[in-house]
Amino acid sequence: MDLYSFVEGPLLWIAFLTFVIGTILRIVLFVATARNMDKPMLQYFSWKYVLSTLGRWILPINKDMAKNPFFMPLVYLFHVCLIVVPIFLAGHVTLWEESRFEWSWTALPEAWADWMTLILIAISIFFLLRRLISADIRLLSTLSDYLLIIVTALPFVTGYFLTHGTLGSMAFLGDNMSLIHMLSGELMLILIPLTRLSHAFLFFFSRAATGIEFGRRGYSM
Amino acid sequence: MTESINPQAVMDFLKPRMGARFKTWVDICTHCGMCADTCHFYLANGRNPRMIPAHKVRFLKDLLRKKGRVDRAYLDDVYKTVYYECNVCKRCTLFCPFGIDIAYLISILRGLLTSQGIVPEGLARSVANYKASGNQMAVTDEEWVETLEWCEEETAEELVGLKIPIDKKGARIMYTVNAREPKFYPQDIMEAAKIFHVAGEDWTFPSGKGWDDTNLAMFISDTETSRMVAENTFNRAEELGVKQIAITE
Repeated sequence: MDLYSFVEGPLLWIAFLTFVIGTILRIVLFVATARNMDKPMLQYFSWKYVLSTLGRWILPINKDMAKNPFFMPLVYLFHVCLIVVPIFLAGHVTLWEESRFEWSWTALPEAWADWMTLILIAISIFFLLRRLISADIRLLSTLSDYLLIIVTALPFVTGYFLTHGTLGSMAFLGDNMSLIHMLSGELMLILIPLTRLSHAFLFFFSRAATGIEFGRRGYSM
Repeated sequence: MTESINPQAVMDFLKPRMGARFKTWVDICTHCGMCADTCHFYLANGRNPRMIPAHKVRFLKDLLRKKGRVDRAYLDDVYKTVYYECNVCKRCTLFCPFGIDIAYLISILRGLLTSQGIVPEGLARSVANYKASGNQMAVTDEEWVETLEWCEEETAEELVGLKIPIDKKGARIMYTVNAREPKFYPQDIMEAAKIFHVAGEDWTFPSGKGWDDTNLAMFISDTETSRMVAENTFNRAEELGVKQIAITE
């Protein structure tokens, strides 16, 4: 088996399974630990406060939005592009249709996908520069903070080059772009449950926990 | 100072406190910096990046990574941060996109220091008082009741018929004070008594432990003493069968 078929086959399975099983395990671990050690959180559990806090922070109707009217919209835009493009890209939908699952769903118009990809890359560059330039964020940042932004942006950068063939003149990159693209996507999938990218799902649990804590004291956040 | 700290003791303190929230919060902070300018220490110190709430809890991750292998000088650094750069107000949590309860993490660090005997002097004194007398000023039960009786006498000269009820069963309100009041400011007790009297309230003071409504043990995360103080108050309220506990201003 050559490298390409490995990356396209078994490694893709490994990446998806690491992502799915890793995510499930971390959620199970959270709930199991909470049952033993965070009893007040479960004792005072209330859908009212959980849904109110999740609603306010999944939608841009929260305190940060009012406080940081420039930065927060970019954060939301970044995450929308990050989730929507890989799932609804026409090229990806075709791959699902051709796969053994034969799943199919509506694809994003190509122009939209292009723009959303460029927007995501631009915001990633802004995030990196912000980390480097702002004294505040520079002090907080660890090496992994920089690397994770790159890991997240890389599938989009390589995907853009792949669909537009811009680097075709550079022999190695031109020939291997789809390999690099798959590898970068697989790397991100694997890292989601293992790094602080796990906020993708732990966000809900963390907010819920604090929502209950503040809620039972009479403040719905 | 390079006095040695037993790493096992550090980990023994932290491990039972590493619940689901703790672990998640130490893990997922993306260092976005949204908490920075929500902190009054940050703003009051010329926007000093070292005052960013997310930066103040760096010790926890560090302690876990070092498996508790730190020296006394390290804990002194932690002390400066958790006592002099944070007053556990939780404002940063309101602005954290993940709702990370930084103050809760700071409290755990304070508790760790307490377990190692590193406690602000004034608080250590007060907590010792709670343990011995049930109140932070070490007022004895006799002194407390005497003070109330004497307050009643004085105030009744001004408002005829005024009573300061002690241990009145079934009263509607059990009133509690800051232990500084009987110790230094009995006039506060008299003023409150006047208000209750004029308002015609059905109220009472408890004579036994539980009348001090401050809980300074909470500030050093001495949960055992903190719990005892709170339980004293609730036990008195249950014994007297009151409907409400009122606390002093």
